[in-house]
Amino acid sequence: MIPLRFKVDPLPVDEPIVTRLRAADAPDAGPFDAVFLGADGPVSEFDLAGFPLRLHDAPIEDVEDDVILVLPGQASAHRLIRAASPHNTLLVTERCDQLCLMCSQPPKRHHVDMFPHFREAVRLAPRDVYIGLSGGEPTLFKEDLFRFLLDAIEARPDVRFHILTNGQHFEESDVETLASIPHDRVLWGIPLYSHVPARHDEIVVKPGAFDRLMRSFAILARAGAAIELRTVVMKPNAPDLVALARLVTTRLPFISVWALMQLENIGYGRKNWNDLFLDTSAPDAFAPIAEATDLVRARGIQALLYNFPLCTVPAAYRSLAPRTISDWKQRYLDACTTCSARGACSGFFEWYPDDRGFSGVAPL
Amino acid sequence: MNVWPLKFRPTHDGAILFADDAGGFFRSDGAFLDRYALGALTGSDREFLSANGHAFETEGDLDHTGFAYRWASRQAAAGDLAYVILVPTLRCNLACSYCQVSRADERARGHDWTEETLKAVIAFLDGLKTESIKVEFQGGEPLLRVDLLERVRAFCRRRFKSAEFVVCTNLQRLGAAEWAFIDAPDTFVSTSIDGNVATHRAQRTITDDKTEEFFSNLDLALERLGPGRISALPTIDVEAPPPAASVLDTYARYGIRSIYLRPINYQGFARKRHAALNVMDRWNAIYREFVDLMIERNAEGGETFEEYYLVHCLRRVLRTGQDGHVDLRNPNFLGRDYLVLDHDGRFYPTDEARMMTRIGQIDLSVGDIFSGLDTSKLDALNAHATNLFDPDCLHCPYQAFCGVDLVDDIAREGRIDGPKIHTDFCRRHTFMFDLVFELLYSRDPKVRRSLAIWAGVPDLPYSIAPEHA
Ligand code: SF4
Ligand code: SF4
Repeated sequence: MIPLRFKVDPLPVDEPIVTRLRAADAPDAGPFDAVFLGADGPVSEFDLAGFPLRLHDAPIEDVEDDVILVLPGQASAHRLIRAASPHNTLLVTERCDQLCLMCSQPPKRHHVDMFPHFREAVRLAPRDVYIGLSGGEPTLFKEDLFRFLLDAIEARPDVRFHILTNGQHFEESDVETLASIPHDRVLWGIPLYSHVPARHDEIVVKPGAFDRLMRSFAILARAGAAIELRTVVMKPNAPDLVALARLVTTRLPFISVWALMQLENIGYGRKNWNDLFLDTSAPDAFAPIAEATDLVRARGIQALLYNFPLCTVPAAYRSLAPRTISDWKQRYLDACTTCSARGACSGFFEWYPDDRGFSGVAPL
Repeated sequence: MNVWPLKFRPTHDGAILFADDAGGFFRSDGAFLDRYALGALTGSDREFLSANGHAFETEGDLDHTGFAYRWASRQAAAGDLAYVILVPTLRCNLACSYCQVSRADERARGHDWTEETLKAVIAFLDGLKTESIKVEFQGGEPLLRVDLLERVRAFCRRRFKSAEFVVCTNLQRLGAAEWAFIDAPDTFVSTSIDGNVATHRAQRTITDDKTEEFFSNLDLALERLGPGRISALPTIDVEAPPPAASVLDTYARYGIRSIYLRPINYQGFARKRHAALNVMDRWNAIYREFVDLMIERNAEGGETFEEYYLVHCLRRVLRTGQDGHVDLRNPNFLGRDYLVLDHDGRFYPTDEARMMTRIGQIDLSVGDIFSGLDTSKLDALNAHATNLFDPDCLHCPYQAFCGVDLVDDIAREGRIDGPKIHTDFCRRHTFMFDLVFELLYSRDPKVRRSLAIWAGVPDLPYSIAPEHA
């Protein structure tokens, strides 16, 4: 796993600091940059406006141009943006108003407003990065979120955002703000699990969530927002996929892409794994996914398979399965060593349970 | 619950096809039609109509919004002028049986752009708003004036961010300069292969020498350009059609898998004579035979075939935003995103308009390169460029997929305001969409195989074609 935090010798500061790690010879180093001085064994030493910043196990070639957050008195620094990675996600909050059965990041009551740091981080981010915003539920702090987005897209015309939201909090009065965000700058990733309201509500553990979500979709459509519809495929909702596909073609024709996703064995997903995980490599288990994607794609709507190891997908559908598991939490199995498809394959989550997973993993 | 208006039409096998203004469709029966017409829908009717996208509760809810989005994305939005068809010469070195009016003898004078016309064309292109242009060279045989083609191409490459060129050529006489022109990777060749060698000779090349010249040039072109840059279409004589199998074999031999079948487009008197022979029905029968054979061949595995226009109609039924073909879209405004520019510098909204003007049927030119577009004439035509308010189309279940071809209506009917259902355009498209829906509702696995290929998916589920009992 790639570390998202570094051990740091505590800094003598009272305020949190967001800084960018620069090479010794960076010609354009600015006042907010920490400039590399040299390595002291496993410790990389930086000059941060005159203070020594000492990061453990952070070789400069791995961390150059990363943006980090150092909190007063804390012995670890948060890697907010990794310059070398296409997967950077900022956690807006840990609160959420749903309790999805498969949630990989179960909500907590605790909330700290991180937007001021994110604002700094975006300003220091490398060119053309694609930044994820996630939670918890980011739109619980909708006004702050909108303000942050509007500022960020103006300050950095090259940066794009992918925001994971449960879609429970958009209002008719948000249309104007949403419409002022260009279609290609923000992609809203929104889950929908079933065409049956009660089943969706059971999965997200919130009565009325389906109806509220439908209202939000209409609002987002009117605002011309770009939507990535996300459906984790599990035992309880797999039989609904074809009807859900029909709902997508009739009521959600404006989405940018429909992502059908495999389960992640962490958080509640780990607790509920045996009830939820669908081995889509088993005979016939892929059929509803095949039919659902055929249906929407024939009708001109893009569909993709996220987090599906290639060998678990029938050959004709493999082109729909890009490498989606973020680099820092991704791994391969022993079987993958000899596989010719490995370079294009999502592989597995770091916490994938080898003994309770797919039956059909075999090198291609 | 509010139900959007449904249009309907009996199918070949006794069911009824229903469709709404946004292109949602399903099949049902006479009993449902009665319930719908009498306002006596049952609970299961309502449930079906809602799930299939034909209904909403309140204005602005998601069902309403989804429907509005689908309706809106079926309207063609004409962009800037970015596609020009240029006719730098009317002269040709062939004299094909069906092309007498649109060509001049190779040695004739006064049928080429003058130096002055070329300069005006370049100034005109220079003034376009678009950053990406497509130029199609037609004739006559445009390669007779490869010098003019080179100058236009060189200019466009400089002037536009992206430029693509198509030469519609008979591939007859190709010297070093002609080969050099079509060798360029931004240049595509469009030619005619009239089915098989015998038909090609009878209709086009006449002599052995010229036939041999064409087919060896075609071989060479495929070798030099690769199949991706060469397209071809057969023009078929309804009275003497080549056997479908021989046409598919010929095209397969040249690696061309998308075939755009077209009947000979008779003009003037010839058209009147042929009309009496019920050409339309005979053409439809020939067309059907080709499609059935493609379906058979596609089921055998290996390389597959498609009929270009059928696939286009199929995609227009299944998807929105399929407006890339200028003969079938709605609204279909003339003189907006594409234009034809003739050898004498006159503008035409379509190639057929050019032909009709040439045979003296009516003057459909819309200005010229020296004095500009005749916008008042275009406006008069464009007042009829949509099928949205046509009394026949309004009641037709195919309206959302269909389009308008004003010039064709004028050419055949002499007017653009007559009853649509009597027009050639309407009869042709009724046949096409009847066929598309017959295939979509077919249970024949061979048909499913072809439909999946044509729709671009591994398998086309039956659920794409809903039925309601
Ligand atoms: S064997 Fe491993 S690398 Fe190969 S397709 Fe399967 S999961 Fe991917
Ligand atoms: S032209 Fe004919 S087939 Fe087309 S929509 Fe109008 S009535 Fe229907």
